[in-house]
Amino acid sequence: MIFKCKNCGGGMIYEAGKKSMYCPHCESTDSEYIVNEGSITVCGNCGAPITVGQFTSSDNCAHCGSSLVFNERIEGGYRPNLILPFTVNKDAAVEALNKEFDKRTFTPASFLSEKSLKNIRGMYVPFWLYDYQADYDFSGEGRKVRSWISGDTEYTETSYYNVIRQMKTDFDKVPADASNVMEDGEMDLMEPYTYEELMDFDPKYMSGFFGEVYNAGADELEERAKIKARSASEQLMQQSLSGYNSVTPHRKNLNLTRNGLNYALLPVWIYRYDYRGETYRFYVNGQTGKVVGKTPVSRLKLLLYGFTTLLSVSALAYLATEILEIL
Amino acid sequence: MKEYFKFFRWIYITLVIFLAIFLAIRGFHYFDSRMEHYERTNTECATTRRVFDNADVLSDKEEKKLAKLIEKRQAQTNCDIVLVTLNEPLREYAEAIEPDAFSDEYVRVYAEQFYADNKFGYDEADGDGIILVDNWSRADDGMIHTWLLSKGIVEDIFSYKDLDHILDRVYEYVENNPYRAYKTYINDFYDDMRGNRLFHTNAPGFLPIIVGVIASIIFIAVNWKAKSGVNTTTPVTYVSGKRADFVNAQDIFIRRSVTQHRIQSSSSSGGHGGGHHGGGSHGGRGHSR
Repeated sequence: MIFKCKNCGGGMIYEAGKKSMYCPHCESTDSEYIVNEGSITVCGNCGAPITVGQFTSSDNCAHCGSSLVFNERIEGGYRPNLILPFTVNKDAAVEALNKEFDKRTFTPASFLSEKSLKNIRGMYVPFWLYDYQADYDFSGEGRKVRSWISGDTEYTETSYYNVIRQMKTDFDKVPADASNVMEDGEMDLMEPYTYEELMDFDPKYMSGFFGEVYNAGADELEERAKIKARSASEQLMQQSLSGYNSVTPHRKNLNLTRNGLNYALLPVWIYRYDYRGETYRFYVNGQTGKVVGKTPVSRLKLLLYGFTTLLSVSALAYLATEILEIL
Repeated sequence: MKEYFKFFRWIYITLVIFLAIFLAIRGFHYFDSRMEHYERTNTECATTRRVFDNADVLSDKEEKKLAKLIEKRQAQTNCDIVLVTLNEPLREYAEAIEPDAFSDEYVRVYAEQFYADNKFGYDEADGDGIILVDNWSRADDGMIHTWLLSKGIVEDIFSYKDLDHILDRVYEYVENNPYRAYKTYINDFYDDMRGNRLFHTNAPGFLPIIVGVIASIIFIAVNWKAKSGVNTTTPVTYVSGKRADFVNAQDIFIRRSVTQHRIQSSSSSGGHGGGHHGGGSHGGRGHSR
C-alpha cells in the first residue's frame, strides 16, 4: 500500500507537526489516494524487489525511498484496533534529545559533540493493551501509636483496629509492548501515553514511519501487564491504609480479571548511536516527547565533581557547626 | 566551566549565605561585646598575672598573646580568667590539704587552693572568675588530669554541661596545639558568659570532613551508572476515573493499650572523669587524658 498525492503523484507521508497527510514534493496536505500495488517482496512504486523483516509492517523502499505499508501485515489477525498517531515530529524529537543530553552532566563531551541525530527514526511499536477488573479483598490489624511526655514519664498509647478494605478497580489499557527489538524496561519508562488521542486504526498514519506487527501473542505477554496492574493495586491499597503507623495483613486476595484487549500501535522515535564500540539507544515518546535511554558516564568528570562536592559540603558543614557554636 | 558553576550554583549560594550569617553573627558579637563593662572591684588580688605556664608548653609569644586575650575577655565578661599549666606530681600537695583526695582530684585541690591563695575574683577575693589547671604530669593512674573551676557568678551561670563542653573543646586541640586549646578555653568561656552560645554541638573538628566525604561518596555512587529515565506513571495512570473504588472500607476499633516509662536523665559526659566538689561553695569539672 502506498499513499500518493492527487496533485503531483508523489508519495505522501503522515506529518506529525501538521497532523495531516503531507506531500513533500508539492506540499499539498490531505490529498492522498491509496495505491494497492506491490507486496511484501516487491515495491509498489518502483517494482524493485524488497526484503523486509519478519515483523515489519511498514518501511521505506531501499531503491526509490517510497513509504510502503504492507497489507499482509495490517490485515486479518494483524490489523490493529487502535493507533496513536505521532504528534512529535522529527525536529521536535531531535530537540528533545538535545535538551536531554544537555541535562546529562556526566556524559563525555566527545559523545555530545559526535552525536549525529540525523539517523533518528520514527516507529510504530506494537502494544497489547489489557483491560482488567481488579478485586482486592483485604483485612488486617492496624495500629495507631501516639506518645507524649508528662513530667519525667513518657507515655505511649497504641490503638488497635480491625481494618477491612474491599477495592474494585477497573484498569483501562495497561500496556505491554509486543516488539522483541524494544527493551521492556525502557518501553515501560516511555509511559504514560495519553490515550484520549487513540484513534481507530488507519494505515495512513503509518506512511513515512517504520512499523511492526506484534512479535508475540497477547496471552504470552500478559504477565508484564498483570505485574503493573498488581503493583498499582497494591499501592492504592497502601494509600488507603496511610492513617496507620503499621498494618499487619491477615487476608490479602487480589484477583485480576481481564475484560478487554486491544492491539495498538504507539509512536516512538528511535535514535541509535555507536560510540567507542558500544551502541546506545535512545527513545523519544512520539506523543509526549519524553526521552528514555542511557548515555555513557565520564568517570573522570564525575570524580572531579565528587571532589568539589567533598570540599563544598565540608565547608558548609564547617560553617554550620561554627554558626551553631557562636549562636 | 559554565556548566560546572551552573551545576553547583545552589551549593555555592548556600555557602555564601552561611558565610554571610557567620560573619554577621561574629560582627554583631564583636560590637555587642564592647558595650557592657564594669570596673574591677577586687583590690586584694595578689597578682596581675593570669597565665602561669609552669609546664612550659607555650612559647613566650604565645603566653603574651593569651595574656592579652585574657585581659580583653576579663573586661568583657567581668570575670577573672586564669590559666595554669603544671608538670609536677600533686599528690603530696593535695593530700596535705585533703588527705582523702583521689588521684584525679589532686588537680582540683590545686585549682581551688591556687585561686584562693591568689585571691582571684573580679568583684572580690575568691569571687567571680574561672581557672583552668592543666597538669601535664601523669598521675599515679597514668592519666593527665585537668580541672576547670568556676567561681562566683560563673558557678551560678555555668552548668556541668557548659564546663564539660569547654573541656571537650580544650582536649580537642591540647595535645597537638596547646596554644589553640587554651585560646579556645578563653574564647568559649567568653561566648558562654555573653550568652552567645545557644547550642553546644560538641562536634569533633573532623566532622565537617566526614560529612563531606559521605556526601561525595553518595554523589558519586548515585551518578556512577547512567540511568535510562524516570518512571512517570502513578498508581492511577491506568485506573478508570483515576481513583480506586472502595466498596467496603471499615476501621473497627478493637482495643487500646498504654505503656509508660520513666525518662532517664544523664548529666555527665561519657568517657571523662570528674565531678562536683560537694564540700565547697564552688563548681568545677575535670577531664583526663
